[in-house]
This record gives sequence, C-alpha cells and structure tokens, in this order.
Amino acid sequence: MNDQPHYRFPPASAYKLNRCLFALKSDDAFRARFLKDAGAAMRELEVDAEDTDAILRGDRDALLARGAHPYLVFMADLRLRMEREPVSFEFF
Amino acid sequence: MLVGAFACAHTPQLLARPATEDRELVLRVHAAFARVKRRLEALRPDAIAIVAGDHVEAFFLNAVPALAVYVGTECAGTFGRYRYRFPIYEPLARSIVEQGIERGFDLFYSQDAPLDYAFYVPLHFTMPEPAVPIVPLHVNVYLPPQPTPRRCYDWGQALGEILRARPERVALMCSGGMSHFPGTDRYASPEFDYDRRVLETLKAGGGREIAAITGEELDKMGNIELRTWATLLGAVGDVRADVYCYEPSWHHGNAVVEWPL
Repeated sequence: MNDQPHYRFPPASAYKLNRCLFALKSDDAFRARFLKDAGAAMRELEVDAEDTDAILRGDRDALLARGAHPYLVFMADLRLRMEREPVSFEFF
Repeated sequence: MLVGAFACAHTPQLLARPATEDRELVLRVHAAFARVKRRLEALRPDAIAIVAGDHVEAFFLNAVPALAVYVGTECAGTFGRYRYRFPIYEPLARSIVEQGIERGFDLFYSQDAPLDYAFYVPLHFTMPEPAVPIVPLHVNVYLPPQPTPRRCYDWGQALGEILRARPERVALMCSGGMSHFPGTDRYASPEFDYDRRVLETLKAGGGREIAAITGEELDKMGNIELRTWATLLGAVGDVRADVYCYEPSWHHGNAVVEWPL
C-alpha cells in the first residue's frame, strides 16, 4: 500500500510542467493554441521533451512520476476532453 | 457582529450537472442550499465573509499564500460558462487584514486576484435577495505545505473576534469538503464514514477537535478542504452544528451545515 500523501509538495524541477498543466486548465487562449498546435504550445512554455511526450500521450502515471500535481493533471485533462467531445450538462 | 455561520459544499457538479451525477441527490443538496439562503435572508447580514480554498486558479506555484484576504472594490471570476462578479465590503475587508496582522497572522492580501469557483458555487445558490457584498478569505488547501488545521483554527479565532467587534452584521461561510480525492486513485471511493463521524462531533459542539486533526490525516481522508471548516470553527467555538444535509455522491461527500449563533 502506498503511504504517500495524495497531494505532495511539487518538486521545483516540475515547475514548467505544472505551469503548462495550469495553463491548459485555466488559460482558455493557451488551451486553444495547444489544440491547434500542441508542439508550438509546449515550446512556448518551455516544456521539456519528456514532459511534452507525457502530456501528449495523456500518461497520467508518467506525469505524476515527473512531479505533476494530481489536481492539475486531472483538470487539464478534463478541460481538454470537454473541448474535444462536448459533454452535456444540466446548468443551474 | 457575527450573526450566522454556515458550511457549504462547492462541488462543481452541483452547478453544472453531467449525466453521471445523480439528479435527485443534486436537487437534495440544492434544497439544503435554499434553506441557507432563506436563513441568510432572515439574518439580514450586511456582508458575507466566505472562507474557501483556491483550486490553483488565482494562486499558482509562483506565489502561494497560506491565508489571503481579497481587499479590492470587487472580485470576479469565470467557471465554464459562468461569469461572476461580487462587490467587496471594503471597510470589513480592510479591517480583517489590518487587525489580523496586528494579532500576529502574516496575511497575504490582494486588491485584484481572480475568484475561484470554490467561492462562487455556494454564493450562486445561497446569496440572499437583495444581494450583499462579500469578503473572500482564501486558505491554501491544494499546494503543500498547507497551513495546519491548528493554524487555521487559531486564525478563525482571531477572525471571529474581529467580526464580533465590527458594527456590521456579518455572516461567515466556509466552502469546501467533505471527503473527495480529485485527481487521485481514490476519486471513486471517498471516506464517507469519516465524514459522518466528523459531523457527529460537530453536532455535539466538538469544533476544537477538528483543530487537533493533522494535515496528514486530512489528506488521507480526502478532507484537505476541511481547513476552511477549521477556520470557521475557530470563529464559532463550541456551538453545536445543525447538519442540513450530508449527501454522498459517487465521488464526493456533500455537506451543508449551519452553526446557529
């Protein structure tokens, strides 16, 4: 069993990775640029080759192993999926 | 004057319900929110001080406050199709920062930070009519190391003293909880029994026991957001909670609570 906390201090080495996930989650314009040209968007935020690869593969385990914050991985993925396949909601 | 105290879940699926969210459950939580709204209308606050944890929206890893006060003229944010803006009750916001600092709490403040959905969801459902201005109070819940529950409770005690000494009628609300594990392998299995035990403790007036919970335990139980509750509990002390609802969905324990003052 894993005794590690669910949410951990993100290593500074993963800053640019987390910053990219944050932008995918919260920056509509950046997400749109990513969907048009993912490689260019990754270069814009200086995401390194291995992190880029993990993001493009949607490899959650690799992202977490590389220091990504689980909430940012979750929400970046959710926002991208919502753009690609419209989900229907009941709005209140 | 501190005239009321409430806890509200801010689960986004309560606002924008996908097909995977049980409609009847969502409507039951809405009914509890409606009770809060009616109660606020009866209490006639001049302002609502709302304690919530930013979801890495206003504050990213470039600058992580432990405790923050929004002190601009207004605050605004977006959540999907929802765009919202609230006036801030400035004299109260300023007083909270000034007196908080004076009391030894090294508070962060901002006159212009985005307002996360964790503040918006409860206010969407519970803002009284006519609407009142707010004072948003952020507690870091998502970016470790977060302030300890003890520290949150102590900040809440100071906040309670500050609010009680004010001339305005203030309602205090905490947003967040209960057990949920977004982004983790526990997303589909929250700690509902733990939540129920916490609520029993709170119904008996055991708020100060929440202050003694460790951050490790909160993380383990999917209750990192209970830090906002710890803050409110510091302000209200041993008052017994009135649990309006506890509705466990497949991924989230949704609670709505009042502490009648």
